[in-house]
Amino acid sequence: MSTLQGPRAPMSHVTTPAGERYDGAIDLSKVRAAHHALYEAREEMTADGNTAAALATLQMWQCVIFAGFPITPSTKYIETIASKIAADPTTKKKVKLLEAEHAVADYLVGAAAACRDLIFPTATSSVGLDHMTETTRSLGASGLGNVMIVNVYRATANFPLCIEGDPSDALAHRDDGFIQICARGKQQIYDTVVQAPCLGMHPEVMTPTMPGYYGIKDSHRNARLVVEPDREIAAFHDRWIRPSELPGLINGDTAFGNCVTSRHFQGFKISQKQRMERVLDVLPKLGADFENYFGRPGLAFFDAVGFPDDGEVDLAVLSMGPDFGTFEAIREAYGKRTGLKVGGIAMRLLTPFPRDAVRHKLQRAKVVLVVNQAHHQGRGHLTLDVADALSDLEYAPRLVSAFAGLGGADVSEPTWERMLDFARSAHEGTPVAPYAFFHEGSLL
Amino acid sequence: MSGYKEIAIRESCFRPGSTLCPGCMEAIALQNIGRVTDNGIKTVFSIGTSCAEVSTLFFPNVVAWGRGAAPSDDYARSFAILHNVFESAPTLAEAVRDVADVLADMGALEHPVQVLSSSGDGGALSIGLRALLHTIHRRARVTLIVLVNEIFANTGFQYSPATTPFADTSTTPNGPGHPGNIEPPLDYVHLCIAAGAALVAQVSPAHGKLFVKTIEKGLSADGTAVIFVPSPCISGWKFEDGETVKLATLGAQAGAYPAFVWERGKGGSVKDCAREAIDRPPIEEFLGLQRRFYHMVQKDPVSGQFVARTGREQDLEKLRAWVQSNVERLYRLAELK
Repeated sequence: MSTLQGPRAPMSHVTTPAGERYDGAIDLSKVRAAHHALYEAREEMTADGNTAAALATLQMWQCVIFAGFPITPSTKYIETIASKIAADPTTKKKVKLLEAEHAVADYLVGAAAACRDLIFPTATSSVGLDHMTETTRSLGASGLGNVMIVNVYRATANFPLCIEGDPSDALAHRDDGFIQICARGKQQIYDTVVQAPCLGMHPEVMTPTMPGYYGIKDSHRNARLVVEPDREIAAFHDRWIRPSELPGLINGDTAFGNCVTSRHFQGFKISQKQRMERVLDVLPKLGADFENYFGRPGLAFFDAVGFPDDGEVDLAVLSMGPDFGTFEAIREAYGKRTGLKVGGIAMRLLTPFPRDAVRHKLQRAKVVLVVNQAHHQGRGHLTLDVADALSDLEYAPRLVSAFAGLGGADVSEPTWERMLDFARSAHEGTPVAPYAFFHEGSLL
Repeated sequence: MSGYKEIAIRESCFRPGSTLCPGCMEAIALQNIGRVTDNGIKTVFSIGTSCAEVSTLFFPNVVAWGRGAAPSDDYARSFAILHNVFESAPTLAEAVRDVADVLADMGALEHPVQVLSSSGDGGALSIGLRALLHTIHRRARVTLIVLVNEIFANTGFQYSPATTPFADTSTTPNGPGHPGNIEPPLDYVHLCIAAGAALVAQVSPAHGKLFVKTIEKGLSADGTAVIFVPSPCISGWKFEDGETVKLATLGAQAGAYPAFVWERGKGGSVKDCAREAIDRPPIEEFLGLQRRFYHMVQKDPVSGQFVARTGREQDLEKLRAWVQSNVERLYRLAELK
């Protein structure tokens, strides 16, 4: 039939495994041209974590709609976006305020499926992430790697409500299907958000990303931040992000979200898992390229301190988040006082858990102290992952599990020393409880 | 507006091969909507979990969507569909609309895109009422189709907020001292008007010309169009083969779900349903064709008319009163502008 809009030139189309792709439908060069740079040159500033994450997404030309819903401690993310958009009278970009976090997640599905070459970020915390869960689990399986949920860690349960940084939200969502990366410090937050889409949209990965950082401790406290010019971020993305081979809703004749029988379900799930595991190969290369390009450390499985070349330590600590910095500050002195070789790793990649890399790093430790900062029904989320990683070693390190910093409490120097003493007693052969709670220098 | 006959020969984006029950009104509705959307504008459909989803988007055997046997060389005739969770269809549609609009605003998308969503009444009015009303509230330029079969048909015919009073459902069963559903239906038409919709309608393909004309109006509305489609469910309402359109017509004429079209700024009208009960078919005639109301009415062997079962006279009187209030309500809503 004739078109109501008048005759148009035929558009070339390509058959893909996910349907037909019409290549002339969306002109991405126009989107790129419509981007107004936030920074023309590298700049140094003082910023909190939410601002660092917001600036990184604002600087991406592929981010054209910012969906959001406020929840402490992530709210300043969307406020920062809104203020920058409002300050630009000619921008075509939009802030989209939805009525609930669930709606935000649904919106991300529709938007990301509409155009797979654009990036759709948001930020949330705690029960906000819980409220999204029905759809985050769909997103995790969707192949829509152009979705990014910035998770500002906060305890999830509201009995009692606690708004400080506790990664129980992130760790409760390990099975949502997102690539979860923990950042600590404003620079690492900014750099992680810049790199996340390169990982999620990689054609072998195609998995949404969930960069995260601790609420209050990192979201609200200021520190030095270096931001790169927008054109350099675009240039770096061009090294990693190619136009999607699979069609979206607008440039395709395609279907998303079909039903399957259990027979075909297997294939979908295996594919999802394979894509997730590709992260373990792609992430180190991406991180190395970032470091080469920008001169700062890029994505890594973890940050490690105190391991000699042969990897042999008496006591290794495994934890995550900014409180690891307190451990770093006392590590050498503690080692000297006790005569122990002490090392530690702060996890960056939480999901998929880099099992082999962790095993390799810890295999020559005598005792591994895992410090969990989130409520868990057993010995701790991280403890279970480390136990799994070490499980097939012939001589596995002894595993000591601690809970500290729950509800975002500071893990002080006395608390770290008390935990290290606890692990040292295991090193000396004393039986220790399967897990123990520590707070303000005491074993609870 | 296109002619009814011209639309009838268009190619629907809803294709043969669905596993919807034979005689399902949803299939008839989607066939017609699919033809209306073959209008030279690229179509994107979002769909919430529902019979219309699980019966049409099955991989790999049946995908009952797409225009033509093969992808079209004409982009404007291409078709894409997206399913997410039960309640999400309006939000998904709004997101696609926004992306298309921003791309167009940037000069990156020259071709127009029309966006529709489809939900069941369970998905739209129960678990998804929030999503429905807020998409309307934000004046998203999308056409929201709600297929109202008055039950959660997909999960086994349970009560929904649109269930007619006294209907027997899986979760409001008739029994001694229990007359079926006792809750009056949610006033969803009024809610959508109040939320800010540009067009709100209640019409099924039984009113064929009105139905396709309303869908066309919805697609061109400068805001959110919400079209509730009364959808007799052969399995859940339990009626005989071949009675779907008859029931849809009779239900509308008798006042269970009068045909109604309303546009912001213009007001609306009730179609084919008299305001006074005496001028309408008796509601018992509608009830009598369905076994979900078997406990309420029986056929009088002498007159051949459906009458109240012994002991159900008061319940039937209450139901008649609800029907009258339902009709009066729509006539009053039609006066709003």
